[in-house]
Amino acid sequence: MSALGELRRLRAPGARTRRHRDNRAAFLFLSPWFAGLLLITAGPIAVSFLLGFTDYNLIQPPAFTGLDNVTRMLSDERLHQSLGVTVTYVLVSVPLQLACALGLAMLLDRGLRGLAFYRSAFYLPSLLGSSVAIAVLWRQIFGADGLVNQLLDVVGVAGRGWISDPGTALSTLVVLNVWTFGAPMVIFLAGLRQIPVMYYEAAAVDGASRWTQFRRITVPLLSPIIFFNLVLQIIHAFQSFTQAFVVSGGSGGPSDSTLFATLYLYQRGFNNFDMGYASALAWLLLAIIAVFTAVNFWAAKYWVFYDD
Amino acid sequence: MTDRPDRRPPPTARTAVGGPARRRRARRPGAVGGLVRRTATHVGLVLLALVMLYPVLWMVVSSLRPNDTIFRDSGLLLTDLRTSNYTDGWDALAAPFGHYLVNSAIVVAGCIIGNLVSCALAAYAFARLDFAGRRWWFAIMLGTIMLPIHVIIVPQYVLFSQLGWVNTFLPLVVPKMLATDAFFVFLMVQFIRGLPRELDEAARIDGCGHPRIFLRIVLPLMTPALATTAIFTFIWTWNDFFSQLIYLTDPQMYTVPVALRSFVDSTVATSWGSMFAMSVVSLIPVFLAFLLGQRYLIRGIATTGGK
Amino acid sequence: MPPHLTRRAALVALVSLTAGTALAACGGGSDASQDLSDEPVTLRFTWWGSDARHERTRRVIELFQKAHPTITVTGEFKEWNGYWDSLATTVAANDAPDVIQMDELYLASYAERGALLDLGTARRHLTTADFDADALATGAIDGKQYGLPVGLAIYSVVVNTDLLTRYGVALPDDATWTWEDLTRLGAQVSRAGGGTVTGVQAWGFDTGGLTLWARQAGAALYDDAGDVAIPPQVLAGYWQYLADLTRQGIAPPASVTVERASGALDQSGLATNASAFATWWNTQLTSLATASGSQLRLLRFPGEAQSATPGAYYKPSMFWSVSARSRHPAEAALFVDFLANNEEAAAILQTDRGVPANTKIRNAIAGQLSPTDRAALEYLDSVPVTAPPRVTPKGASGVEAILKRYTEQVLFGRTTPEQAAKDFIAELQREIDAA
Repeated sequence: MSALGELRRLRAPGARTRRHRDNRAAFLFLSPWFAGLLLITAGPIAVSFLLGFTDYNLIQPPAFTGLDNVTRMLSDERLHQSLGVTVTYVLVSVPLQLACALGLAMLLDRGLRGLAFYRSAFYLPSLLGSSVAIAVLWRQIFGADGLVNQLLDVVGVAGRGWISDPGTALSTLVVLNVWTFGAPMVIFLAGLRQIPVMYYEAAAVDGASRWTQFRRITVPLLSPIIFFNLVLQIIHAFQSFTQAFVVSGGSGGPSDSTLFATLYLYQRGFNNFDMGYASALAWLLLAIIAVFTAVNFWAAKYWVFYDD
Repeated sequence: MTDRPDRRPPPTARTAVGGPARRRRARRPGAVGGLVRRTATHVGLVLLALVMLYPVLWMVVSSLRPNDTIFRDSGLLLTDLRTSNYTDGWDALAAPFGHYLVNSAIVVAGCIIGNLVSCALAAYAFARLDFAGRRWWFAIMLGTIMLPIHVIIVPQYVLFSQLGWVNTFLPLVVPKMLATDAFFVFLMVQFIRGLPRELDEAARIDGCGHPRIFLRIVLPLMTPALATTAIFTFIWTWNDFFSQLIYLTDPQMYTVPVALRSFVDSTVATSWGSMFAMSVVSLIPVFLAFLLGQRYLIRGIATTGGK
Repeated sequence: MPPHLTRRAALVALVSLTAGTALAACGGGSDASQDLSDEPVTLRFTWWGSDARHERTRRVIELFQKAHPTITVTGEFKEWNGYWDSLATTVAANDAPDVIQMDELYLASYAERGALLDLGTARRHLTTADFDADALATGAIDGKQYGLPVGLAIYSVVVNTDLLTRYGVALPDDATWTWEDLTRLGAQVSRAGGGTVTGVQAWGFDTGGLTLWARQAGAALYDDAGDVAIPPQVLAGYWQYLADLTRQGIAPPASVTVERASGALDQSGLATNASAFATWWNTQLTSLATASGSQLRLLRFPGEAQSATPGAYYKPSMFWSVSARSRHPAEAALFVDFLANNEEAAAILQTDRGVPANTKIRNAIAGQLSPTDRAALEYLDSVPVTAPPRVTPKGASGVEAILKRYTEQVLFGRTTPEQAAKDFIAELQREIDAA
């Protein structure tokens, strides 16, 4: 297939003649970032790391407790619950959100009229996603008297308070996340428009099915964008806070069923004056995110195509 | 692409994409079948859009309802139209709501400028320069956005209060000037990696240093990516709540998200109508920013990774 | 960036590294009994609430500044959740506001760690003569007055009399009614309401209901030492009663109950006319009446007549506290005095922060109140109360979150009342021990 030959050409590696020839220029370009790292980011991050080994109630000086916080994690059932909730959320909502975004983007990319309208309509929810109004709006849909139950009522099915049932509360947050698929959709849409038509035409001549075209042309050519979205959506999903906070009123309820890891460490830190442990939890979360991201970057070698 | 210089060599497939005239066409089935299918697609999309916009519509409708009936009669049908929520909400807090809109606008402007300059510089280095520990620095940069803000905010507040920056916009804007928003660095890195290297190699042979290559070649080509950054920064800063809550304690300095939340207190009755009305008001600038900028947004990311 | 600037900034970063340890050392040194300053002084005053409260408070600040031209008060208002995040951060950074609106849940957590000033040292500028000893005691820990109660409230049953009339259910005599009466009347309403209206809006998500239940059984949530003291069987009985209401359809299904409990006041069953009986603080009557648009009435808790000691007690709606690290404690005390004792200020504030704990002020504003506010005030004056429970101990500030979680588990049938009681007590005690 001509597309694949083209791809192989794209992957030709750029030549590197000398080792680190640009050290000085790089320092120049990175100086704002280095300054930010040194002056603003590194200090608080280092402090939070050190606090992870202390008992710190925010008001009195922290007391060094060694690895107590780590051993405490082992037997902390709410932590285990929160990690389970978070990982489930990441594994379910990120693929769903990206699939919706990609699917809609592909549907809209067929030269439909009114593209700008649809794009705006589907994007609008993303603007609202973390607003305080969401607490009320989500109840209007998934609450006991909400839209979903009204529709179910029409077909004669008894509904329930979806937000407040421990069995379904997390799912409503997944839906909330999927609902804000506008941002990745816009990015996918842009990427799709850049894929040359001739690849598809050539593939059609070769008799490739739509699925084959998707797998062999769309996915590889879109891979840097899929990768970008994947990495950042995973990081964001792991740190998901506002939506659960707003919808559950800060509790992570009902019955800890939406207790995201960040929500739990926030509760420990600010509601229970337990900032030492909260800091340790944050670093645990960082380690988990880092592992997921590292795996992502490692796997990218096998499916993401650049041409530099 | 229309914004590419003509001297650009055509090594990659991207050049096969012409202007809009050469856009890929939809498959061409029989005329009638096509019409039916297109109509069905539109109906489906409009339905989906309605479902997705239901909460937004509900909010707009509720902002036009008397406060005490918002939860007693839900649904989208308005029996009578009240604009009093807008006038009441505008003046409900310590300052007219416009004051908070202006504050937010200042913060947003500072963050946009900061992100544009600093992230572009950092991204150029990561994407184009060969320097010691590049991959490690990149990993550290991504690492800085992996720690939840809740455990950083206290030491950071100490830092900024020592500098006397609390109750100014500096704690919100200065970090952006120093490229702490790794998301955009990553975005721009992906973008620059999509630009043909031959361009800067050619410039280098002509004797250009990196500052010139960056200013004269890379920066003009990444204008669309800068637009992307600007729009996303606008939206996120406009909606960011936690850091603005912590650093702006004087009500005169409050921004839109902080002001909006002070309508809602779970311990007493809330002016929901005013809150919804002001939510609608505060949504307008972001939505306008998106409408006006989406052309650049598309082009921007299109060039980022489309190959 | 010039090198010296980098070095200085690096130094600042280093300072922030050690800040956590340095902070507690640089507080204190303030004396609330000193003379008022002749120089201009700026006080920072922070509170939580919604827009109506912000407006009233702003007017009171203006009034105070007019009376004391050298003192400027900047008000910092937040909603409940953001308020505590912001307060904790500023206290940690030694940058706390001077005058702080404090809640009973957090009083000990801040006071016992040295963040609040003993108002007893500020008598020169702050009089508390018009407060009941019982009321003052709610803000004292180990004999030190860390908070001055602003308003008082009593946990009560609120009934929608319009609904009772519509369904032909008799209004109970709250001087004698029992828990069985509540069950019986609730069942009548639920039957007549045919699914859309239930008799009772289940509670169990705040400490008021639990504390009252425990006191009727002669017990208490905490003992004087600040340890958990509620007997497991009392706690289990409490949850059993709630679970039975839900099971029999007297209260809505668990998911509906939980949803309404986690929403705002306006979204509750009572406020939306979906339940006839509910438990609230008496001071919330006006908000509820406005939201529901129905006739509401305050009733005493069931079972009060049958128990040896009535469970009802004064709960301080909130306190005025002064930061222990305030640089102007004398002026801060003066401002608190104005908030607590000034009749003009009271005329503006009315019952927004609860029925005033200051008895003189309470009488002074009685004539200016709306009918529902007056009903709340009369309720406070007429209900027999006993000595208030111990203030929530340090470390237990999360008690309502824990209570809510176990109530949810019981209502959803994920655990038994007995098991929940055991787990609740153990978890709460762990939090107290760890603090």
